[in-house]
Amino acid sequence: MILEVENLSVNYGHVAALSGISLTVDQGEIVTLIGSNGAGKTSTLMAISGLAEKAGGTVRFKGKDITDLQPHAIARLGICHVPEGRHIFPALSVKENLIAGTVREEKISRQEIVRRMDEVFRLFPRLKERINQGGGSLSGGEQQMLAIARGMMMNPDLMMLDEPSLGLAPIIVEEIFDLILKIKKAGKTILLIEQNAAMALQVADRGYVLVNGRITQQGRGVDLLHNDEVRRAYLGE
Amino acid sequence: MDYYLSQAINGICQGSIYALMAIGYSVVVGVVGLVTFTHGEVIMLGAFASFYTFQLVGNNLIIGVIASFLASAFIGVFVFKICYERFFNAPRHISLICTIGTSMLLRNLAQIIFGPNNKPLLEVVPNRFFGQGVVGLTLVQIIVIATVISLSFLLFLFFNRTRWGIMLRAVSQDKTAAAMMGINVRLTSLLGNSIGCGLGGVAGMLLAIYYQTLVATMGGSAGMKAFSSAVLGGLTNIPSAAAGGLCLGIVENLGITISSASFRDIFAFIFLLLVLIVKPEGFAKKTGVRP
Ligand SMILES: Nc1ncnc2c1ncn2[C@@H]1O[C@H](COP(=O)(O)OP(=O)(O)O)[C@@H](O)[C@H]1O
Ligand SMILES: [Mg+2]
Repeated sequence: MILEVENLSVNYGHVAALSGISLTVDQGEIVTLIGSNGAGKTSTLMAISGLAEKAGGTVRFKGKDITDLQPHAIARLGICHVPEGRHIFPALSVKENLIAGTVREEKISRQEIVRRMDEVFRLFPRLKERINQGGGSLSGGEQQMLAIARGMMMNPDLMMLDEPSLGLAPIIVEEIFDLILKIKKAGKTILLIEQNAAMALQVADRGYVLVNGRITQQGRGVDLLHNDEVRRAYLGE
Repeated sequence: MDYYLSQAINGICQGSIYALMAIGYSVVVGVVGLVTFTHGEVIMLGAFASFYTFQLVGNNLIIGVIASFLASAFIGVFVFKICYERFFNAPRHISLICTIGTSMLLRNLAQIIFGPNNKPLLEVVPNRFFGQGVVGLTLVQIIVIATVISLSFLLFLFFNRTRWGIMLRAVSQDKTAAAMMGINVRLTSLLGNSIGCGLGGVAGMLLAIYYQTLVATMGGSAGMKAFSSAVLGGLTNIPSAAAGGLCLGIVENLGITISSASFRDIFAFIFLLLVLIVKPEGFAKKTGVRP
């Protein structure tokens, strides 16, 4: 198990956003956490990466307790968080955004950076065309790709993607999910947050359903996809 | 005509000092994400650091630059610890008010320690003049301009050609995302704040050798001028802040040509008011932002 979340709770003031959720992610898996708007998906990721204060519970990564670590220390251990809303650096060029992904490794060599960039550009040829353009000048879809590409430059052991398809045109959404599968093939472990349950469950090995800060269902992706309750709640049937 | 030309040259020279103050100011505002009111005192302390260094080791300008940079960078650490470090997640006005308080503290401490009167700083640079008639440059003007250009160039290289530079710019643009990249935001902001303050310190030294005098209360107008120039660049754009400083220097000097030297600061603040009224967001083209 690469990630173990146990009894995690998050409060915002008196509002409980997460009430004791537990989930695990195994090496090489795509695990998805689906749920409607406000269910607590983003809060889960923010708490794992140390950006939201935890009211309770523990998070273990590669066997190490990371519950109380600072966000940058958690990132340095090999967790990459591609946040909701992309959060690319608008006034850094595409290339500099990608380099920013490598700064967690202090001793990385120039050749290794170039090698990773080539790898990323194979998956995102469009970014290569825009290499010297400012990050903020890219279209929404390109920014999402840059955010994922920047995450891949971190060479993480676990990638957490927060609604990568949000606000994108259907063709681009397809492209993003293709990429997620490619990233998995490259040997990465992925925790994928989605409102787009149909898509997410199709690519995921396992899934969790989050409702009002509690996990109500869990199982294999295909099983959830055919689960009546899930179909009614998230697939509009 | 010659007179106006020579005043314009003076303006450029003084403007380059303001440019350095404004560059430092923009670096600080970028990394801490907030305007600061201690920059004037940081500049003043840089001036005093060079004053005592010159007394101690003689008039060595390189050592003066290093001493004023280091002294002000150190003050930067102090300011960061007091005003920002604990308040990253607090409402922003708390840090802001804290910088005002720290500025008062530093200014009054300086008056107690260094004395309230103007101190002369003579003959650091020999009095030489290159040019014809009234049009030309004095040696001190050449040194001032050369120092500002070399420091700006070094800063440019550091920001654009090094990984630390990328980290600093990342922290200025998005602290959450920077943390997600594994960047220690607190440490990086501390470093950036110190660099910005150090540049302010060197600007303080240049002010002192240019006017051949320094005083514990000089930070008041210096800080406001740094702010005015930086506003022109939308507070965080470094090249525009530098251009703002240059403009301010020229406006000031042409202004006193048509009136009196004691009105110097009036022109500076009319300039600030006009910028704030006409273009409060600054003149910097937001690179990389979709129109
Ligand atoms: N910074 C915040 N302050 C207060 N409440 C918040 C904050 N962020 C999220 N919430 C609340 O917590 C709940 C879960 O939010 P979130 O984790 O963003 O859900 P999701 O990502 O599933 O849409 C929501 O009710 C939301 O309103
Ligand atoms: Mg969300």
